[in-house]
Amino acid sequence: MSHTEQYNFSKTALRGLRDAAFAGVIALIVFGPMNGLILDGYGLDFHLDRPFLMAGIVALGRFLLTLSGCLPAVRQLRERLMDFSHRGVTVEQPGDSQVRWKVLILLTIITGLCAPFLVSKYWLTILILALIYVLLGLGLNIVVGFAGLLDLGFVAFYAVGAYVIALGAQYWGLGFWTAIPVAAVLAALAGCILAFPVLRMHGDYLAIVTLGFGEIIRLVLNNWLDFTGGPNGVRAPSPTLFGLEFTRKAKEGGIPFHEYFGLEYSSFYKYLLIYLVLFVIVVALTLFVHRLRNMPMGRAWEALRENEIACRSLGINHVTVKLSAFMMGAMTAGIGGVFFASYQGFVNPTSFTFFESALILAIVVLGGMGSIVGVIIAAFVFTLVPEMLREFADYRVLVFGVVMVLMMIWRPRGLLQIRRKAFKRPRPVYTRPGEAQPLHAASAGQSL
Amino acid sequence: MDFHILFQQLVNGLTLGSVYGLIAVGYTMVYGIIGMINFAHGDIYMISAYLAAIFMALLFSFGLDSVPLVIVCTLMITMAITAVYGWSIEHVAYRPLRNSTRLAPLISAIGVSLILQNYAQISQGAGTQSVPTLIEGALRFGDDNAFFQITYMQMMIIAVSAVSMGALTFLIQRTAYGRKCRATQQDRTMASILGINTDFTISSVFVIGAIMAAIAGMLVTLTYGSFDFYVGFIVGIKAFTAAVLGGIGSLPGAMLGGLILGLSESLFSGFINTDYKDVFAFSILVLVMIFKPSGLLGKPLVEKV
Amino acid sequence: MISKQFKRLAVSAAVAASLSAGIASAETIKIGVAGPHTGAYANFGVQLWQGATLAAEKINSNGGIDGKQIELVKGDDACEPKQALAVANRMVEVDGVAGVVGHFCSSSTLPASEIYEDAGVVMVTPGSTNPAVTDRGLSVVLRNTGRDDQQGIVAAEYIVNDLNAKRVAVIHDKDTYGQGLADAMKAHLNKIGTKEVLYEGLTRGEKDFNALVTKIKAADADVIYFGGLHSEAGPLVRQLREQGVDGTFFSGDGIVSEDLMPAAGGGKNVDGIMMTFGRDPRTFDEGKQVVAEFRAKGFEPEGYTLYAYSTVQAIAQGIDGADTTDGEKVAEWLKAHSAKTIMGERKWDAKGDLTRSDYAVYRWNQDGSYAKAN
Repeated sequence: MSHTEQYNFSKTALRGLRDAAFAGVIALIVFGPMNGLILDGYGLDFHLDRPFLMAGIVALGRFLLTLSGCLPAVRQLRERLMDFSHRGVTVEQPGDSQVRWKVLILLTIITGLCAPFLVSKYWLTILILALIYVLLGLGLNIVVGFAGLLDLGFVAFYAVGAYVIALGAQYWGLGFWTAIPVAAVLAALAGCILAFPVLRMHGDYLAIVTLGFGEIIRLVLNNWLDFTGGPNGVRAPSPTLFGLEFTRKAKEGGIPFHEYFGLEYSSFYKYLLIYLVLFVIVVALTLFVHRLRNMPMGRAWEALRENEIACRSLGINHVTVKLSAFMMGAMTAGIGGVFFASYQGFVNPTSFTFFESALILAIVVLGGMGSIVGVIIAAFVFTLVPEMLREFADYRVLVFGVVMVLMMIWRPRGLLQIRRKAFKRPRPVYTRPGEAQPLHAASAGQSL
Repeated sequence: MDFHILFQQLVNGLTLGSVYGLIAVGYTMVYGIIGMINFAHGDIYMISAYLAAIFMALLFSFGLDSVPLVIVCTLMITMAITAVYGWSIEHVAYRPLRNSTRLAPLISAIGVSLILQNYAQISQGAGTQSVPTLIEGALRFGDDNAFFQITYMQMMIIAVSAVSMGALTFLIQRTAYGRKCRATQQDRTMASILGINTDFTISSVFVIGAIMAAIAGMLVTLTYGSFDFYVGFIVGIKAFTAAVLGGIGSLPGAMLGGLILGLSESLFSGFINTDYKDVFAFSILVLVMIFKPSGLLGKPLVEKV
Repeated sequence: MISKQFKRLAVSAAVAASLSAGIASAETIKIGVAGPHTGAYANFGVQLWQGATLAAEKINSNGGIDGKQIELVKGDDACEPKQALAVANRMVEVDGVAGVVGHFCSSSTLPASEIYEDAGVVMVTPGSTNPAVTDRGLSVVLRNTGRDDQQGIVAAEYIVNDLNAKRVAVIHDKDTYGQGLADAMKAHLNKIGTKEVLYEGLTRGEKDFNALVTKIKAADADVIYFGGLHSEAGPLVRQLREQGVDGTFFSGDGIVSEDLMPAAGGGKNVDGIMMTFGRDPRTFDEGKQVVAEFRAKGFEPEGYTLYAYSTVQAIAQGIDGADTTDGEKVAEWLKAHSAKTIMGERKWDAKGDLTRSDYAVYRWNQDGSYAKAN
């Protein structure tokens, strides 16, 4: 027994050495010129030690990876990590786990409401950014995760929302509070305009057209200097609370918040207000989207994602279903845009590049497409990790990219698995004639 | 209208379009075979530009002074190393996701794109890098006041693109290897049952895409003379648009899409407005997609009912 | 690394609890260097960092500011407004900086300066030339460089009076700096009676400008004025010359980089390029020794290196003079007095602009150097 184990081990070690040597050679070819020969004007600087060092690291890493495969503990860990990676949506029987979830949700809400008082202003701003990405993630999750329409230009709606408040304030005196519904409606309208022509398209063609649409919006914002301020951007107003402003000195006769309450000035209050309003909206929207999933509209989205043709033959109007998904997603992004503009105090087109769309998509995919909780977690990961990585300075983006690839390899279906409550028809209630009984009630499990 | 200006813009557009076409091939082939949008492809092109500049400088520093020899050697080395890049990226970042969801490789590719950009920036510095002008001169048509010209570099771009596209089409359409590729594209399971090493075939497609990108990278570096770690992104998006415009998955489509995009950009920019040339390019894409949802030369998707 | 982060977090939480954006440490004075340390414009970040580091070393070895050592903090905004905001917040809240050298790109400086204004931290930008930076009436913002409108006027005057140009093409890169500069130049050009023959924007990051070049050629321009950075100026010059356009190429201070010459295709293409730039910082008598030190380290203090150096000196003298790290007081002191730096005496007006504009027109030579044009 131990003999065969030993034999296996030495065989693995040998194979590991061979693999490691191969990986080292490949690494040398890959890293050699880029790290060893540094361009300097029309000439070169030689740093031949660097590629050898890196190739050595790669070879060693490869070897250790193979060896660690022999250890049962590592193998178990790997299996655990990869556990459900090849399974798709699981359909659960409608059960009763409501109490546990309700406690958990309540705890999350309480933590969320207390959070701004526990952290510094810097981390509060990061939290706001994270919540904005939660909103965007939730919105894109409806389009990609639920309805299965790959949208690579989602940032366009985000831009619409941000520019509605900034330009609205500049030209029509729009305030923060009115901007939220206005932006929601206008962004939904933009979603509708985009959705009509693309309804005929499938999968990746849809992706490209939305990408093109997103780029068109950004380029127009950048080039239409007279109206949007072009690359200089526009200033966006801060929120007000019942007419109280959050500036150091009030503009046009208003009273700043801190003077009214006799507090020392700090922009903390402004961020606090934005955070709290945003938090309430995120919670409301999360619950709304969750409920929506169990309603005919949400179920139609997911059915459409699984099989469009079957859906249509079952009599689902794919046009309205797709349209509603696009509009809901766009609306969410529009609201996110308002908060982003107000938080930043300034918008310009560089915030709405294709990379931003890709980031939001990464949030949705990493969250586990269609999983609301997963998307929320992923949004936090994707905003907090780059901030924490600031310690790595120059290597920040590199490490971020590596994290993205590794997460996809370990968790190709996202952090959380999508669970889906089965639809259970309410048991027919037999009633005596003349005695009316409501026929609906409890059609869907209502737990998160 | 001055016709020499029109001709000049046509030459400009044709050159740009050929470059887009060469890069678009990488997108279209990878999409064709595994249905994945390889967002890191533009950055492979960027890496190849660095490699070309590095090896040109290296060969010159070895005392090689025959320009054609340097160009040919550099092209060969650049193609080889870029191919290794294509292969290893596929091996490390995409292969583990082969049987996963459709979007997982896409996100992984975005990650790879970030890695490559940052890697080039850290290892080679963030500044603009340049190569000297090696081939100068142009063919001029017309008199001294009203002429249009095609530089030798532009001619080289158009010629090399045409030749490599021809060779690639031959490879895919006429050889045993090409048949394996097309079989894998049609149905991977079926192909592997028939004894085709599909893993190898897929890898090789990434390698071919990288080689085409390397050719483009080398030519562009020689022509425009300067690049930085960010060039891959913009050119990548344009080339990708070209691939879709022509019908993603179709080789002649990629070239056609590239040419249409290049020509429309330079004509719109030359006669209407430079600011909005990209808006125009993307609008063409959207319009074509609306009326021909699978691109100009793409095969329409069959809906099974 | 992570644990350090959390320790800092705890400290900053404690600071936030008392809601005073004060400076926690008494031992050192932290100064932030904010700019594009990564991204497409990272080479400007390198210049800023090199300049600031040497300045801090120098001041520290001479006893620091009133006995306290300077500690530099790197803040990377990659020239993106969103990141600039995060960096500004971090510098103010987590690092507790007493002053900021930066930001570099005007589009980053604009949103970030509002954070510094709120927190009362003095910000002196060594590179943002957009007029709006100081025109918004912020009390802690100073500018240790010129303004685009000053630069544009100098350029327009020179183009009309010295070059006697009749046909001017104005090209910009559709960015806050480049377009602002091109617009300022165009405005003054129109004012003194010359109408541009072409006004177009190119896209930053692209390398093929042949279509635009053909258009310039068709417009038959004597002078091509470009508002933008060297990364686009280089290929543009190269393609202009390749297509046989021989008008004078004229630009602003964004092209000052040793990368310009190779990108433009060598000496014969850069020969004759004109640009406006503040007095070459390397020519001040006060800075001779520092320039020599940089060169001894193998670093050519070009572009904004010495601007950053001088900015650190100014902030240090401001903190020393005002005897506080309160940004408003430091800024007030600097505006009332002046700073003696390696770029001579720097004086500011009430808005925070330098009182004297030292923009002049330079002409590039075949060897990649540039000298004042007569």
